Amino acid sequence: MNSPARAINPLPSPATARAALERVAANLSLAVQGKDKEVRLAVTCVVAGGHLLLEDVPGVGKTTLVEALARSFDLSFSRVQFTADLMPADILGAQVFHAQTATFSFRPGPLFRQLVLADELNRAPPRTQSALLEAMAQGQVSLDGATHALPRPFTVVATQNPVDFSGTYPLPDSQLDRFLMRLSLGHPSPEVEARLLTTRDASSPVEALKAVTSPEELTELRAQVAAQRLDDTVAEYIVRLAQATRAHGDIERGASTRAVLALGMAARAHALWESRDFVTPGDVRAVLAPCLAHRLLLRSANQGAYTRDEATHLIEEVARKVVAPR
Amino acid sequence: MTTRPNRLRLILRDLGTAAAFSSMAVSGQVPVWALALVIVAVLVSLMGFHPFARAPRLTAILLVPLAGALYLAVAAGQMDLVVAACSFAGLVASQRLLSETSPTTDGQVLLAGLLMIAGGAALSGELLFAVCLLAFAVLASLSLGLAVVEAAVPPGEPVPVRHVLRPLSKGVLVAMAGAVAFFVLFPRLNWNVGVRRAAPGLGPATSGFSDTVRLGGSGTLKSNPRVVLRAKLTPDPGSQRLDAYWLGRTYDTFNGQEWSTIGAPSKRRRTRVTLRPGAEKQVYQRIELLPAYGARTLIAMETPSKLGNALMHTPTGDRRTQLQELGGDELRFVEEALGYSYEVYSVPPGTDTDPGKLAQKELDQLLSLPENIDPRIEELAHQVVGNETDPLAAAQKLSNWLQREYTYTLELGGDVADPLMEFLFVRKAGHCEHFATALTLMLRTQGFEARLATGFFGGERVGDEYLVRAGDAHAWTHVLVPGRGFVTVDATPPAFRANQSLELLESLISLYEAIEGMWRSSVVDYSFRDQMNFLRDMSRPPRNEPGKERTQLPPLRAWLTAAMAGAAVYWTWRYLSRRKARAPVLEATRFVDSVERQLAAAGVRAGDGETLEDVSARLTRDAHPLAPAVSPLTRRYLEARFGQRPLQPGESARLLKELKHSVEVHKQQQQTPRARAS
Repeated sequence: MNSPARAINPLPSPATARAALERVAANLSLAVQGKDKEVRLAVTCVVAGGHLLLEDVPGVGKTTLVEALARSFDLSFSRVQFTADLMPADILGAQVFHAQTATFSFRPGPLFRQLVLADELNRAPPRTQSALLEAMAQGQVSLDGATHALPRPFTVVATQNPVDFSGTYPLPDSQLDRFLMRLSLGHPSPEVEARLLTTRDASSPVEALKAVTSPEELTELRAQVAAQRLDDTVAEYIVRLAQATRAHGDIERGASTRAVLALGMAARAHALWESRDFVTPGDVRAVLAPCLAHRLLLRSANQGAYTRDEATHLIEEVARKVVAPR
Repeated sequence: MTTRPNRLRLILRDLGTAAAFSSMAVSGQVPVWALALVIVAVLVSLMGFHPFARAPRLTAILLVPLAGALYLAVAAGQMDLVVAACSFAGLVASQRLLSETSPTTDGQVLLAGLLMIAGGAALSGELLFAVCLLAFAVLASLSLGLAVVEAAVPPGEPVPVRHVLRPLSKGVLVAMAGAVAFFVLFPRLNWNVGVRRAAPGLGPATSGFSDTVRLGGSGTLKSNPRVVLRAKLTPDPGSQRLDAYWLGRTYDTFNGQEWSTIGAPSKRRRTRVTLRPGAEKQVYQRIELLPAYGARTLIAMETPSKLGNALMHTPTGDRRTQLQELGGDELRFVEEALGYSYEVYSVPPGTDTDPGKLAQKELDQLLSLPENIDPRIEELAHQVVGNETDPLAAAQKLSNWLQREYTYTLELGGDVADPLMEFLFVRKAGHCEHFATALTLMLRTQGFEARLATGFFGGERVGDEYLVRAGDAHAWTHVLVPGRGFVTVDATPPAFRANQSLELLESLISLYEAIEGMWRSSVVDYSFRDQMNFLRDMSRPPRNEPGKERTQLPPLRAWLTAAMAGAAVYWTWRYLSRRKARAPVLEATRFVDSVERQLAAAGVRAGDGETLEDVSARLTRDAHPLAPAVSPLTRRYLEARFGQRPLQPGESARLLKELKHSVEVHKQQQQTPRARAS
């Protein structure tokens, strides 16, 4: 029973939640300039309790965004560069032999942080990828028969380079499905780039960021998200959208049930931006493409960089066709 | 991408058209070639082919020669104008069925169907028509409903047939109930005066009485289970089977081939006819002749003494009719009608009766024989009768002998030169007319006066009435016994006297006749007078019965009806108030409709798939002057619609008023710079 706990630690009101979100977004914008929409979606994803997949060419601020997230939420942070020789033990941790006591003890790996940046996830061998993804799904790590709980809140942000595929192990669709959203920042606008050139001093802007909220508040926000009201007609709308992707002629495999659940969760979190405690069809449409684009298997032969735009385009078409409840 | 028409809608439409055409076809008057063309068209369309879709106008020219053919048939007097019009409606519908499958075509097809239904009402209006009408109404409504839904669904989307069929069916049911209420209560003119009834019920009437009885032919009549007569007897004999002879008429002259009567018809027309004096114990019968009977001859249990009080049933109501006496004890109704009812007093069998008023010539005729009668018949009769002098005993002897030596059969070899010789010496098998003729003539060869009687034999109890079926038609012999009058002797083996039809068929036909009767009395012949009676019966105080206190209060049924009406109103109110509980959602939807209308008036239009939420966000993004007005309104709508915080009474009106004000201010601001520019 969690009602006594609720009484002691009441949910933040929608207005309070929105204020927190806006604080985080404003803070992030200091580090990642001119990407308000993506920043807000990234915050939505984290608040919804999902893992984030950033797909971008190098050098557009992926790492900066993740670091800024960690600082804003005051989360413990680790960055793991995924390479072809990275083994599961390198991220999960290992049993270490202590010569003095002649015993083994568990030394946690870099995964035991509240926010983990898995940089270039697709460069690691599948074994390592699946170890990470399992940890993401379970929130715990099983090693040598012992189970080690990961810290809470726990969020993974993985990055992928969508262009350079040589020497990579593309993520299987079942594993892509575990990421709540896929975002790409893209190049900043010329004005922003010019401003970066003129104003950026030696120190990284990220290092100057201060925490604007706490991991505890993030946990409360996530509880608030789970408590958001989803009207039957909106739920039905989500299902109809998913069905439309399944029935679409250009889509080989449409949205899964997990995708439907993810869409519901992300839409609930998105409602907080308007300080609402209920979900509207607009919330669903706002998170539709980031939540679904990476989960669809298109019929077109080109399964690479350009499918992202194509998938987004198809999803927008679906969103136009499926009539929203009014 | 072109939208594929909904298959179910087309099937329903085709079946509806078929039902509409059947409503005319059941009258049996539509020409066979038109029937064939329509059937082919419906089948082709049902299989999903629409060969005329490419050239709907060109193929419409095909209708011109068909119309010409129909016109020629009418001009030549071969076809009725109404029938021609009905057939043409069927052909137009067929052409449309095979054309393109748009909702417009559906409308045209169903309109033609409506015309065909009207034609069917003019042509027959019988029970099968009612079935077709019902089928057409249901199928056409469903098809139209589906067409509306299909039109509302955006192209490329599947039509939600499953979800729609249930509410559609409910709607059709409500519509039918409404139609019934309208029919019962709306003042009704007797429009059915002009109805031409081809034949009542299942094809033509069955057992007419003609002026002659011809031996030969086959005996299909014996297996026909249609009810031709209903009788209520007083005193009620109470038995399940009434083995009674129902006399229609008698014949006294046989020419070797057929029976006829020499008696001349009386010119007088009377409402009551007394054939012979009554006896102490008489059987009173209230007889109804049904449309299936199809003749004007009165039927009565042997031996009728008095007949009268005849009513005839016509499409416009019941009227008194008169009776006319014909030769051979036959009584006829003067006028033709669908059915008749009348009263009869009969002397029970076994009672001595007056033979009736017979002229000497008629008495002599009871001994006449065909001119070329074979002497072997007399020899045969003599062998059986011997030296018997009592007519009844002789008749019994002959009758027993015939029943013993001859077999009953309905399979007859058609016309032969001398059917009696054929029966007695060749086939030694025949039906009731052969047995009765043989007995009558053999009695006459021995000098006994006898005549042939025809009518029905039997009577089957249903409720407190007795039914006589067409298959009960029978012939027997009257022997004139001095001092006792005519006595009935039946030479036909007892097992074959009544009808020979299957029991299952019999009960099915009874059911059909009952429904047909209800349809006729409560729908086709339902008139303004019936409506008045209905209302008066509802409100009139009960009849003052002896032993009961006189009361001015309306009868129990009026109270019951009032209670039922009250309950119906209450349930409707409850249903509507429950709907109101769900109304906030609908109210919010109505609210958003109004908002969007106002915004459209101000030049802010929602794009493809854009909701008010999107529009509001767009206005805010573009810093539109209306954004500050629209934004809180949108929020309120979203709360009411998805956040379970319904709009308060009057709130939507207030918000809309505010929006209207903002829109007007916005318009003025737009116009001002333009005014300056000019």
